[in-house]
Amino acid sequence: MRVRGGLAALLLAPVLALTVALYVVPLGVYLVNGFYRFKDGRILREWTLDTYRAFLTDAFSYKIVSTSLLLAGIVTALALVVGYPLAYALHTRVKSARARAVLAVVLFCPLMISVVVRTYGWLILLANQGLVNMTLLRLGVIDQPIRLLFNMQGVVISLTHILLPFAIFPIYSVLGNLDPSLKEAARDLGAGPWATFWRVTLPLTLPGVASGGVICFTLALSAFVTPQLLGGGRVQVLPLTVYNSTVEINWPEGAVTSVALLALSILAVWAVNRGLRRLPIGVRL
Amino acid sequence: MAIGTPGAQGSRGADLDVRAITKRFGAVVAVEAVSFTVRAGEFFSLLGPSGCGKTTTLRAIGGFETVDEGDILIGGRPMGRLPPNRRETNMVFQRLALFPHYSVFDNVSFGLRMRGLPAADRARRVGEALARVELGNLGARRIGELSGGQQQRVALARALVNEPRVLLLDEPLSALDLKLRLQLQEELKRLQRSLGTTFIYVTHDQGEALAMSDRIGVMASGRLEQVGTPLEIYERPATRFVAGFIGDANLVEAVVEAVDGDGLVARVGEARVRARRQGWERDGTSLTVCIRPERVRVTRPDGRPDGLLGRVEDRAFSGSLVKYRLAVPGLRLHAAVPYIHGTALFDVGDAVAVGWEGDQAVTVPP
Repeated sequence: MRVRGGLAALLLAPVLALTVALYVVPLGVYLVNGFYRFKDGRILREWTLDTYRAFLTDAFSYKIVSTSLLLAGIVTALALVVGYPLAYALHTRVKSARARAVLAVVLFCPLMISVVVRTYGWLILLANQGLVNMTLLRLGVIDQPIRLLFNMQGVVISLTHILLPFAIFPIYSVLGNLDPSLKEAARDLGAGPWATFWRVTLPLTLPGVASGGVICFTLALSAFVTPQLLGGGRVQVLPLTVYNSTVEINWPEGAVTSVALLALSILAVWAVNRGLRRLPIGVRL
Repeated sequence: MAIGTPGAQGSRGADLDVRAITKRFGAVVAVEAVSFTVRAGEFFSLLGPSGCGKTTTLRAIGGFETVDEGDILIGGRPMGRLPPNRRETNMVFQRLALFPHYSVFDNVSFGLRMRGLPAADRARRVGEALARVELGNLGARRIGELSGGQQQRVALARALVNEPRVLLLDEPLSALDLKLRLQLQEELKRLQRSLGTTFIYVTHDQGEALAMSDRIGVMASGRLEQVGTPLEIYERPATRFVAGFIGDANLVEAVVEAVDGDGLVARVGEARVRARRQGWERDGTSLTVCIRPERVRVTRPDGRPDGLLGRVEDRAFSGSLVKYRLAVPGLRLHAAVPYIHGTALFDVGDAVAVGWEGDQAVTVPP
């Protein structure tokens, strides 16, 4: 859609103003700290690249980056693997529009509850005396509780649940736009249900998978509450470092870590977009 | 799935036998007790207005709808609930349904691939199929890079390369402009003749059906109204609907006054008209007389007691024809008179005698 210059400016002005005033300016002010020196618990206003140098040469920061990427990667993969079949079932198996609407609300419901509340919910479920462990013990699957809290497992489980709707809805929406006669054509040409899925449905819904994946990945990368509450200090990720540094008045370190986080997110979006460009379907994020 | 030259099936009688199929969608009866058979190598059209059940019938043959009653036999084998991938049919979809993520070549070879043909055989047969639809050099193109007519040809090649026993076509030309449509009609017909494949062609365009088909099944409101050659359904429409839907027709309510041999005289108000008999008419039967506009004669009143007297209500000159709308007491008739140099034209308001040769009109049940 093309909008005439004057009107376009008018329509874009409020959101641009808000973005600049509430996002770009504070972010800039904060990020400038990355070039200041931090010494003896104080920020000194002298220009330096020392904080960057320290971040890039410290093996611990690579550990944090790799933990962050691992967490985001696993959560994204799980959300897509669980979300795709769900979206597919919602699209193909639920015939009545009413039932579909109800299910969509049920799937969206978790988003209306604070992440803090949901994370505490998982705290109760995953505890040693929690529902998951008690059930597995009763069933005789395990003979002593497995540790699901204050480690990676707990964060992954909880974060996957929290981000699931963000994986489902892009896929569901792309499925809905797929011409149903494409599937029929594949069946008509001799493909069984599986071949139809692998050769037609899945390739044509990859743009949805990609956008769902990018949303999950960036949200998982910047997740704070869940790793904080369920990680028990053992899941050290970038947002936690930013938080801890900021609390300790080490704004230079917080700023540099923020830049790393931002760079990784931008990189992920760029990489997926580049991958999508090679698809013949012409969908971009 | 049978692989072989489709022409070889020519002597085997019915390729498709549709037996009293009924299909309901909830409370709506989309297809009601429809039966017909199609011979091997025949070009058979299902013709009717939108919502008449023709596409549902086609989809039932292809296995995309399961019928509630009746059965469909393809090559003598009952289809029951067999899915599309296990039927000897292929479909050309209305919206073509070409795979946008595959090249032209990969689209056409899809069916052969699903049947596990070796790559060399696939390449040869896809090459032949593309050559047959005059797309020989476009195999590497993406679907999005083709024109509408080219996409149409790819869809056709993708279905025909599998050498189906029956090819199903769901209004494949409806999205194209008139000129291209006429050209592809001709190509399609030629292709069908040379391959000898049985075609089931769904269309709402009576001109298309008349021009291409060996036989036509006319459908209305889920029922099959009549099956016959284009000439039969034009000359002897079985119902009032068929008479009105195929070609232009004046449909005149009349009461039989006298039956004589092959013809009859029927009363229309005060006037009398002649028509060909179909056999079921008796004295006093109420019926409809169907007369095509191009068979209506418009002349100066000559004082004959029979015949219809009317007045020219409207005139439209279209080059080869002069079309009149005539007001005759109690009814309105359309006439299309061939125009050559010197043909006398009537003006709006002129009083005229309207008539036709007795065997040019035909009776239709009321």
